[in-house]
This record gives sequence, C-alpha cells and structure tokens, in this order.
Amino acid sequence: MDPRIRSEFVTLLGAADVIDDPIRTRTYECDGLTSSRVVPELVLLPRTADDVAGCVRICARHRIPFVARGAGTGLSGGALPVARGVVIGLNRLNRVLEVDPDNRRAVLEPGVTNSEITAAAAPYGLYYAPDPSSQQVCTIGGNVAENSGGAHCLKYGFTTNHVLSIEVVLPDGSQVTLGGDSAEQQGPDLRGVFLGSEGTLGIVTAVTVRLLRTPEVMRTLLADFPSVAAGGQVVSDIVAAGIVPAAVEMMDALAIEAAEGATGAGYSLDTPAALVVELDGTVEECEEQFAQVKEICDRHGCTRLHVAGSPEERANIWRGRKAAFAAVGRISPDYIVQDGVVPRTRLAEVLERIEEMGVAAGLRVANVFHAGDGNLHPLVLFSAAEGQTERAEHLSSQIAELCVEMGGSLSGEHGIGTDKACSMPAMFGEDDLAVMDRVRAGFDPDHICNPGKLLPTPRLCGEKPGRYRPHPLEEAGLIERL
Amino acid sequence: MTRAAPTTLRPASAKEVRDAVLDTPGRLAISGAGTARRWAGRPAEPDATIDLSGLSGVITHNPGDMTVSVHAGTPVRELQEQLAEHGQRLALDAARIDRGATVGGLVATADAGPSALVYGGMRDLVIGTTTVLADGTMVRSGGHVIKNVAGYDMAKLMHGSYGTFGPLVEVVLRLHPAPKATACIAIDGPVDAAAGHVQRLMASPLEPIAAEWVSGDPGTLLVRLEGGVDTLPVRTGRLLELLGDGAREIGPEGWARHAALTGGTPGQPDPAQVTVAAGPAGTSATAVAGAGIADPAGSGAADPAAGAVVRIGCAPARLAPLLAGLPATAVTAGLATGVATVTVPGAAVAEVHEAVAAAGGTSVLRDRPDALDAPAWGPAPSALALLKAVKTQLDPEARFAAGRFDPWM
Ligand SMILES: Cc1cc2nc3c(=O)[nH]c(=O)nc-3n(C[C@H](O)[C@H](O)[C@@H](O)COP(=O)(O)OP(=O)(O)OC[C@H]3O[C@@H](n4cnc5c(N)ncnc54)[C@H](O)[C@@H]3O)c2cc1C
Ligand SMILES: Cc1cc2nc3c(=O)[nH]c(=O)nc-3n(C[C@H](O)[C@H](O)[C@H](O)COP(=O)(O)OP(=O)(O)OC[C@H]3O[C@@H](n4cnc5c(N)ncnc54)[C@H](O)[C@@H]3O)c2cc1C
Repeated sequence: MDPRIRSEFVTLLGAADVIDDPIRTRTYECDGLTSSRVVPELVLLPRTADDVAGCVRICARHRIPFVARGAGTGLSGGALPVARGVVIGLNRLNRVLEVDPDNRRAVLEPGVTNSEITAAAAPYGLYYAPDPSSQQVCTIGGNVAENSGGAHCLKYGFTTNHVLSIEVVLPDGSQVTLGGDSAEQQGPDLRGVFLGSEGTLGIVTAVTVRLLRTPEVMRTLLADFPSVAAGGQVVSDIVAAGIVPAAVEMMDALAIEAAEGATGAGYSLDTPAALVVELDGTVEECEEQFAQVKEICDRHGCTRLHVAGSPEERANIWRGRKAAFAAVGRISPDYIVQDGVVPRTRLAEVLERIEEMGVAAGLRVANVFHAGDGNLHPLVLFSAAEGQTERAEHLSSQIAELCVEMGGSLSGEHGIGTDKACSMPAMFGEDDLAVMDRVRAGFDPDHICNPGKLLPTPRLCGEKPGRYRPHPLEEAGLIERL
Repeated sequence: MTRAAPTTLRPASAKEVRDAVLDTPGRLAISGAGTARRWAGRPAEPDATIDLSGLSGVITHNPGDMTVSVHAGTPVRELQEQLAEHGQRLALDAARIDRGATVGGLVATADAGPSALVYGGMRDLVIGTTTVLADGTMVRSGGHVIKNVAGYDMAKLMHGSYGTFGPLVEVVLRLHPAPKATACIAIDGPVDAAAGHVQRLMASPLEPIAAEWVSGDPGTLLVRLEGGVDTLPVRTGRLLELLGDGAREIGPEGWARHAALTGGTPGQPDPAQVTVAAGPAGTSATAVAGAGIADPAGSGAADPAAGAVVRIGCAPARLAPLLAGLPATAVTAGLATGVATVTVPGAAVAEVHEAVAAAGGTSVLRDRPDALDAPAWGPAPSALALLKAVKTQLDPEARFAAGRFDPWM
C-alpha cells in the first residue's frame, strides 16, 4: 500500500489500530471457509461509526477495495479479504447502546455478539429470536449481512424479520439510516435489500432489533423412526395439523452415530432417523399441540419417544443435535458441509436422491438438518488421503444444484460469498443476476465494497468449493455448527 | 402541449405486460384494483396505464409447503377464499378489505394490518417476486421456500415502491395455518388508558395477535387472540382478568369499524365525537366531527378542512402521546406496533408530518379528496440519494410512477 494512503488511515485511527505487520494481517486471511485465503494489505480497527465512515471515505477517494469483518465465522467466504484491499474489522464497535423494554427493542453496535443481545434483554423477560449456532461469537453486523437464521427461524423468521433499522456507511463514505422506529416504512425497503447482502452494499455501524417476550413454556421431544421418510411424513403432518413448532430438526443414522459418540446425549444408536421437535407458547396451547404431535409420531411408527422432563434434559437433547456437525469428524477424516433448501414436501425424495448420488460416487453422506423449513445440511464424508477430494467436492456441488432443481435454494443460511458464487447461474437467469448487479451499482458505483462476492465472476468460477476444516473457534470448543 | 388521452392496457399474461412496457413509449402508470390510487404522492399524468387486474389467479398452491404463487393482480380476498379451503391463509388481515385490493398493490404500497404485530407485513410474507423493468427485463428473485439467502432480496425493493420500479407480475407468498379459534376482547377508554393496558398485555405471556385502539367516545381497545378450540377460552379468561373491569368478549364485527377507519374514506369522519386523549390533566384533543365533509368523488374545489387520511409509524410507547397532540377526527392505533391511521383536516396534513417527524416517526398521506393539495410525505429520509441512485439504475428514464414520491423525487 502507498505509504501516503496508509498514513491517512494512521492519522484517522492512530498507528495502533492500523495493522500492516504481515504476521498480524494473516490472522484475517480467511473466515470460516478456511480453504480460501488472501492476506489483506491492511487491517483497520475503528472504534466508532464516524471512524468507519472516515476509513471508507479514504478507500473511496483512492478506490481501495474494502471488506467488512465481524467475527469471521461466515462459512461462505464473505469476509475473505480481497487482494490489495483492506479489511475493516468491527469488533471494537461492541457496545449495547440501549435496551428499551417499553418498546421491546435494543440498539447495538455491529460488533455485539448475537448471544450478548439476549443476555442484555433477559433481565426484562425479553430475548432476541434469531439464533445461529455460532451465536456465542458471531456479530449482529455479520448476522445482518448474512440474514442469519437458526433452529428457531421456522416459527420466528430470520434476521430480516427482526431488524427495524440499520445505520450504514455507504461505499462513498456517507452515513444513512435504513428503516425506522416502526415497521411502517417510507418508500422501497432498502433495509430489506441490505439484509443478506453479504457485505457488498456498505458497512453496518448500528442496528435496532426487535425483542420478543420469552415464551411461557418450551416443550421438547426426541422421537425415533424406522426411516427418514417416516420422519419426513411426521413433519408434514405436524404442519398439516396447523401446528407451527418452534423447531423441527432431523438426524439420520450416520449423524446420530457421530453425535451420540461425541456427547452421549441419549440418542438411540440403532435408529435410522430421529426428530427433535420443540414447541413453545402459552401453557394451554403448548400442552394441546404437544399431545397432537405425540399422536402424529405414534401414527408413523415412532419406535421411541423421549420427552425432556427438565431444562437440563432439554439442553442435553440440543447439545447432541448441535454437536452433530463437528462430531462427524469422529467417523470420517474429512467432510464438506453443504447448505441447500428444498420445499419441505420434497424432503424424502431429495434425501433418497442424495443417497443414490452418494452410492454412485462411492461416498457416504450424513444428514442433520432443519426439517421444518427444508434446510438441508448434507455432510459429504471422504478421505483426502485416499484421493477422494475431487469426487467429494463434485458430489457436494451436485447436491446444491439438486436442491435448486427441486424448486429450492442454493443456500438457506450460510450465504453465497465466494463459495457458491459460481453456482448462482444454476438458480438465477442471466437477467436476474444482471439486475442484482445494477442494484449493487446503485449502492457502490465504483465496485469497491467487498468486490467479487455473491455474484459470479469468471475468476471465482475457476475455483472449487472447499472441504470442511474446523474453524479455530470450533476446535477451541467455543462454537458449534448446526 | 396537449397530450393524447392516456391509453389503458390490460395485459393478461406476464409476457403481455412485458410487451406493453416495451411497445408503449413514455410514462407508464401501474394499477391494481385502484383502491390506493390516491395514496402517497399524486401521480403525474401518464402516457399509458398498465392495468394488472386482468393478470389474476393462483399459479401454484403447494399446501404441504404452505406457499402459493399468484399473478400480481389477484384480489387478496379471492386468494383468501381459495386458501381457506385448505385451512390456510395469507396472514395479512386483508380479509376485511372488501374493495378488491390486489396482491401486487398491497406489496407496492407496503401495507399491513393489525396482525403485523405477530406476522409482520407484506414484506415478511412475500418470498419471491417477478417484476418487469422499464427496459423489458424480467427479474425474478426468491422462490417457493421460506428459507433462502441466495442473492439480493428483490422483493423487499418492490415493497413500498408504489410501482416506481415496474409492474410486479408474479408474487410468491408464504402461508400460515388458519387459526382454529379466534377471540376479540374489547375494553373502552381513551388512548392513554389503552396504552397502559397494552403495556401490561405485552409484558404478559398471552401472545396477542393484534392490539388496536379505535377512536370514539371514549374509544375502544380491541385485542385479538388466536388458538385451539379448547384452549382459547382459557386464554381469553386470562386476558379478561388482566384487562380488568369493563373488558368483554365481543364478536368479530368489532374489527369492521376498525377496517373502515383504517381505510379512511376521506371526508367522512366518524359521526361520533372522538376524544383522542382525555387524561386527568384534561389534555383533551376533541375534534369537531363532521367538519368539512368533502365530496368523495372529489368534484369541487379543495376544502382545506376536508378529511385526509395519514398513516404514521413511530416507536410504540410514543404513539399515544403523539396522537394526543394531533387534530385527528378518527384514529386507529396499533399501540404495540406503533403504527396508526388518522383522519385529519386536509389543511393539517403538513403539521401532522412535522409532529410525527419530531417524535422520530414516519408518515405518509393516504386517502384524500381528489382536490386536496397537501404534501404526501414528511421530511425526506437520509437515504434519499441512495434511493434515487437505485431508481436510476433500474428505471433510467423515469418512466414509472412519476409523482408518487413527490416532493422527494
Ligand atoms: C377503504 C379502504 C380500506 C382498506 N383497508 C385495508 C385494511 O384493512 N388492511 C389492509 O392491509 N389494507 C387496506 N387497504 C389498503 C389497500 O386496499 C391496499 O393497500 C391497496 O394498495 C391494494 O392494492 P390495489 O390493487 O388496490 O392497488 P392500486 O391502488 O391499484 O395501486 C397502488 C399502488 O401500487 C402500485 N401497484 C399496483 N399494482 C402493482 C403491481 N402489480 N406492480 C407494481 N406496482 C403496483 C400502483 O402503481 C400504485 O402506486 C384499504 C384501502 C381502502 C381504500
Ligand atoms: C460453527 C458455525 C456454525 C454456524 N451456524 C450458523 C447458523 O446456524 N445459522 C447461520 O445463519 N449461520 C451460521 N454460521 C455462519 C456464520 O456464523 C453467520 O453467517 C454469521 O452471521 C456471521 O457473522 P460474523 O460476525 O462472523 O461475520 P463475518 O464472518 O465476519 O462476515 C460475514 C459477512 O458479513 C459481512 N459483514 C460483517 N460485519 C459487517 C458489518 N458490520 N457491516 C456489513 N457487512 C458486514 C462480511 O463482509 C461478510 O460478507 C455458522 C458458522 C460457524 C463457524
């Protein structure tokens, strides 16, 4: 980087917050998609929104590409640095600015972690609904950029349904507010466009979120089934009965084997499929629906039904479920995590096709997923040492595109980033992508805001999707994949 | 220069909409059922109007996935009737709209009813859209799954666009199960008392679907609960207890009056004297009912006192005090959402915008007598330049919906 430009950043932030030491900049070379790495020229660590705007103005003046970074837990390479660009790290903007119980909302700086929001709201009997499994460390800024969801988004929706307004630094360095104090909006919903834009439209410097009242009760059950198809039918019947569970998660035999081996959470090792169903709400509604769910499970040949009798037991069921991803490492040396969505009614069919594809490729696929909203996370197991990498990567992409073919989506919660940009044409036509590019140009005419992400570019499309490598925080046991 | 009388085109397929856009030079207006024709800014005279009411009907309904795709000109009322046969609904309380409002029109006007408290507005229910842009490009986003984070959410851009980016031709919606039982609980009182009830209600675990105060003498708070046939009565009992003396269960007709006021037929204020606030301090803002009734057809000269309907939104806890200061003749107020619809004398519209902005809220003129010349929007948002940049990208010649965002753009 031109030393004169560097000194502009130093004048703004102070030397300590402008990192160019190659050892330290390396810390930022990748996000959770550790197979792609680019060392940034500089890492900037602003402490205020005005500093962020100042950094972006310098970038805009010199046409330097910049990439916003929260906790770096993204799994699709969204926060991957760009060559000759800077990374703007937002961890130091980490204050809870306000919790307003009367209006049931909180105002946060972008570096506040997802769990900290609920922690700040809890004293008022409130909580923040979206709950990605990385919630202990991922930031609300990253959640906004990825439109993150979690096990409970079937009933409660994603980040986009819970954000009232965002303060944003646009790629020209100007500061604007998108959204407002109520859901009533003025003109086109630019806040909604920004949500899920994967850091390509600007940098979020403050977020106002809605808080919900903690439900009166939560009821959780774990049920075993003779086949994945039977479990899928239970999900359909629950929905057909007019019940919207807080969460419905499914695991197949391989995933159960791995999870049980890792946690001893009490899953049955001899069952082909298990469902975790959680209901929440008022005591009366919850009890009534819970009885119906049990009846539906029985009707589809449920072989064992375990109801969590205490908060500890409930936590245990979830521990097994949440550990499943990392635990797959126990039964396979390497694996790739996929993230596709299919219409719920096609679950059984898709799972069957995935199994056939796995057999054809000579590889095993473990399934653990959000059954309620059709969000699959097939884990393609392979051994790099035995030269299976290429076959596994191919199978993984095939599965993603199968989801699109079934009328679904390439991604349910992990975003497109650099990882899946090349698959975007499988889901969108040329015109659709060109219009998205025009929207992007409206925000970022000079193309300096996280370039190369989300929309396919020829360079990216020469690259291959990466296999799973644990995020350092996963290795440290701090977060788990769901 | 005299213009030729505007033509109206009534395409019957997405392709015909696209042909209409490509083959018709000049400025285009888009209309659904026309129920929100007078909302927001006054549209400039177009060269042609594309009327989407012929583009109607369900394309695919997947009951098991709880999704439906429809042509944009489909009246919501008709859609609801079809969905009801499967025990499903679009969770937007548009069922009360008997005027034929269309799915595309509801998206374009960013509308929401009382149940937005739980289900959100149209923005939260739309999972995919297809739109025709000024250059004939057909852009599609989203699809038949509720979970989808691939690409920009173009449906959000259309939400609240008032047709400025082009006609929506297809909309995919997420559905919800129709409730097995519904209850409506009412308690009379002025808005500040109602706000107190709502504060306690929201702190309780009772999960109301809607909580709206309707003006009158002294006004009524309406609360809706939904649930199971056997369990709802129990919860209703808990709610009656929570609200205390005067609370009672009423039939669904309680909502009909609410709908009428929300729709706000201009110039027909509530016949009853309405008291917005009658606090102990005597801060009564009683308005003169019947003042300046305008001709709904809008023939005569503008009567500045004639009623105009303004939609406002602000932080929920600020709503009651804000309303108390407005010269409103009729009000419906979502005290838990912060969204209200007020009828005010036409001459007071500018003042209402100012008061709402001062409370950190937003406001837009809805229905009004045709002749009323009042500002449609409050102060411009900080993102106005961005909005213009996006508009230029998608509609560089500004062919669509000129005037809707006056005085901003
Ligand atoms: C008396 C009354 C009562 C009402 N009550 C309620 C209520 O209780 N709850 C509720 O939710 N709403 C209510 N509404 C709201 C109203 O019906 C809708 O918001 C309205 O916009 C419905 O669509 P429309 O087809 O009539 O739109 P139009 O009036 O035809 O159009 C409105 C705007 O949308 C644009 N537009 C229309 N179709 C499209 C399209 N396909 N693509 C792009 N732009 C388009 C137009 O250009 C215009 O800017 C009420 C309205 C009235 C007048
Ligand atoms: C073990 C594990 C489990 C996970 N589970 C889930 C899950 O259940 N559900 C889910 O949705 N995701 C999940 N994720 C993915 C990831 O945690 C989420 O996408 C998260 O929201 C990313 O937040 P972050 O702060 O780490 O963002 P980063 O990874 O730092 O950045 C992600 C993207 O957001 C942009 N960005 C970050 N901050 C800002 C800002 N302030 N303004 C603008 N753009 C910004 C970046 O440029 C990048 O494009 C998981 C990840 C891991 C490692």
